[in-house]
Amino acid sequence: MSTKEELLKGLKEGVIEFDEDTTVKCAEEWIKEGHNASEGIFDGLAAGMEVVGDLFAKSEYFVPEVLMCADALYAGLDLLKPHVKGGEDESKMKGEAVIGTVEGDVHDIGKNIVKLMFEVAGFTVHDLGKDVPLDQFVEEQMRTDSDLVCLSAMMTTTMVGMKKVISNMREKNPNVKILLGGAPVTGDIADKWGADGYGDDASNALTEAINMVSSLKELRKSGEL
Amino acid sequence: MEKFKVIFQPSGSRGQVEEGKTVREAAQELGVDIESVCGGKKTCGKCKVQIQEGSFEKFNIESEADHLSPIMEDEKRKLKDTEVKDNYRLSCTAEIKGDILVFVPEESRAGGQVVRKAAGDIDVTIDPIIKNYYVELVPPVLEEAEGDLERLLKQLEKSHDLKDISIDYLVLKGLPDIIREGKWKVTATIRDDKEIIKVFPGFADKKVGLAVDIGTTSVVGYLTDLETGEVISIDSMMNPQVSYGEDVMARITYAMTNDDGLKKMNSSIVDGLNKIIVNVTKKVDLTPEDILEFVIVGNTCMHHIFLNINPEPVGLSPFPPAFHHSIDVKSRDLGIRGSPGSYIHVLPIEAGFVGADNMGVVVAVAPEKQDQILLIIDIGTNGEIVLGNSKKLVSTSCATGPAFEGAQIKHGMRAAPGAIERVKISSFAKEVKFKVIGETEWHNKTQKIKARGICGSGIIEAVAEMFKSGVIKKNGTFNKELDTKRIRKNDKDMLEFVLAWKDETSIGKDISVTLGDIRAIQLAKGALYTGCKILMKHHGIDKVDKVILAGAFGSFIDKEASMLLGMFPDCQLDKVEAIGNAAGDGARIALINKKLRKEADKTAREIKYIELTVDPEFQTAFMQSMYFPHMKDDFPHIQDVLDKIPK
Repeated sequence: MSTKEELLKGLKEGVIEFDEDTTVKCAEEWIKEGHNASEGIFDGLAAGMEVVGDLFAKSEYFVPEVLMCADALYAGLDLLKPHVKGGEDESKMKGEAVIGTVEGDVHDIGKNIVKLMFEVAGFTVHDLGKDVPLDQFVEEQMRTDSDLVCLSAMMTTTMVGMKKVISNMREKNPNVKILLGGAPVTGDIADKWGADGYGDDASNALTEAINMVSSLKELRKSGEL
Repeated sequence: MEKFKVIFQPSGSRGQVEEGKTVREAAQELGVDIESVCGGKKTCGKCKVQIQEGSFEKFNIESEADHLSPIMEDEKRKLKDTEVKDNYRLSCTAEIKGDILVFVPEESRAGGQVVRKAAGDIDVTIDPIIKNYYVELVPPVLEEAEGDLERLLKQLEKSHDLKDISIDYLVLKGLPDIIREGKWKVTATIRDDKEIIKVFPGFADKKVGLAVDIGTTSVVGYLTDLETGEVISIDSMMNPQVSYGEDVMARITYAMTNDDGLKKMNSSIVDGLNKIIVNVTKKVDLTPEDILEFVIVGNTCMHHIFLNINPEPVGLSPFPPAFHHSIDVKSRDLGIRGSPGSYIHVLPIEAGFVGADNMGVVVAVAPEKQDQILLIIDIGTNGEIVLGNSKKLVSTSCATGPAFEGAQIKHGMRAAPGAIERVKISSFAKEVKFKVIGETEWHNKTQKIKARGICGSGIIEAVAEMFKSGVIKKNGTFNKELDTKRIRKNDKDMLEFVLAWKDETSIGKDISVTLGDIRAIQLAKGALYTGCKILMKHHGIDKVDKVILAGAFGSFIDKEASMLLGMFPDCQLDKVEAIGNAAGDGARIALINKKLRKEADKTAREIKYIELTVDPEFQTAFMQSMYFPHMKDDFPHIQDVLDKIPK
């Protein structure tokens, strides 16, 4: 039998070492021992994913490792989540984000990584999936009153659609933060189209997501959001 | 001083340049070679460039001709009127006053690209769609004064059993003169035993056709003797559309976002092709009008733009082409120079991204007639894969990106003199040997040509050698325990491995492979391997009998290196075959054998297209494929090499 600290460490290391068996084993024991599920998620799994983010930023990890870490994380999360009691996880950052790959585009690996990091950071993410009709982003934002809308495109042809989403979004709700990501997107384009941030390319999505989350935290603190 | 954005095409070099500098100065700053015989004294006129006008989303630039200083009288004298109209300028004179996108035409580029699209030998029955029929007519007399055409048609039926023949209007127009010039003896060129497309006075046995491969980056024309099937001359050029975008997606976007985008890109390829037509015929003392038949292949986007059909739907999921079937169009309808009655045959499209160029490859390889399982990989900016045999064929397309062509690589360059194309790294000292294009031997201090960058085949071999010698690990990261000054951190704090030291290069700095380059290769090769694996799953097989690498690139990469990187699944090394520009070979085959054209239409619809991104295993497969050679799969045929990698 392991101590609470050992289990937390197991959850964290399991994610970092992309060892699904360990996160599953530790999560099962965590529940059996009656520990707080929310604590297991944030101080165990999510803490591990933060380290993964650092390793990615330092180029120690690349897309495959991050995806494997994500698998390990989700395996643990699936077990812990049902035991989270209402109101418990509100201690972490609040925020809602709408995310999706725009119409005409079916590439979503980068988007999935961004989504994961947002979830780890405590966001509620409304994932619209891929090939999402442009109007749906605006509709979903209105429905959920999300703070953030994240648009992804891997092809130059579909990237053009983001422009339309941004202008429609601004018309309806000028305060929403809009983030762009995907291979063809550049900082110039994000600026020109009036987005609030961007991710350089799919492989940098993770770093960008971390930067975005931290800049959002800043905004939160200063009361702008 | 204000700075403006300047982008040079086709090299893609870009940067901020101070107002008032000439285009030539900007080119020098950004490392673009522009021909200059007079050294910028405005006398030779060799440095002409074309300013592209419009909005280019991909580059985020609004480029206008008046973003340069006004054209001068002495500059005008060095340019043709049509060139002035098309926004050509002398780069030594025109000064930068705003953002510009500059196209450096083929003739103004210093140091030509190595043409890597030579014609391969093909073995096909010669049975072209056009045939010559010689007839001797009985001159009319008062008692029997039937028209020239009817007289010709009757004789064709009598001598050659040809019925229901029609004639091209322009050919008909010239018929009376030709018949009389030939003194009532003529040779009629008949297409598909249906239409007279040319009439020669007297006896003629000369028949030439042109097979063209319109690639995203380069265009090649093979002038072919239709009697012997031999290629009699070749001409190639960089696709002039490159200035509208480097890849197909950027070009489709250009068509989407500019009202006359399609028209501009269509005219640029038509003009380009006409230049090839003039050059390729001039080389053998013929004229464009001697060409009686054309066959064109190209990816779906090139195909649509060439035919002046909106490519927009091809750029958006689910990527439907306007049509699949092959098409015959009069060359004059497309503005292509040839014999006035000649036709252009365009090969069919298999699926959205598996276009007529891939059909050319299929025609050349003919997997539908074989028992062994072939894995045919055409590597370009997009990777197209066809897998199977006579029983079943599946295909897919994967976004490899341009990394294999040396783009998106820090020191990447096209295959031109000075490009590192071969690399060897010793497993103990991690010392490097390299060879540049233009020199026959491995690099040594006495060589005239120094290294300028790394081309596509060079980057493949460099990364493979880094893996083989233990410089990088299976997951792409550097082995930081190694004690060699070649591994270091660059100014962007990124790890890199130095291939050539400053004194071995002509660019005044070291040439290296960065971790970022390795990541780009991992993504590209991962996409390719994933495509192969998912096709194998759909075909229900776990190994292939033979791997065929099509595309110029395939001929220049080392087979062992490509397998070490895991660009495709394990296969016996001597069963990996590079066949060069098979798309062009397929076009030539279609030019000399009409039956195979019909078969191509049938085969195109029988190959089942598999969309990778909707496969539930795609993400996992892609992830595993990014390792060298693979995270999980075995490579028994190179296991001995893998075993020797220093730990």
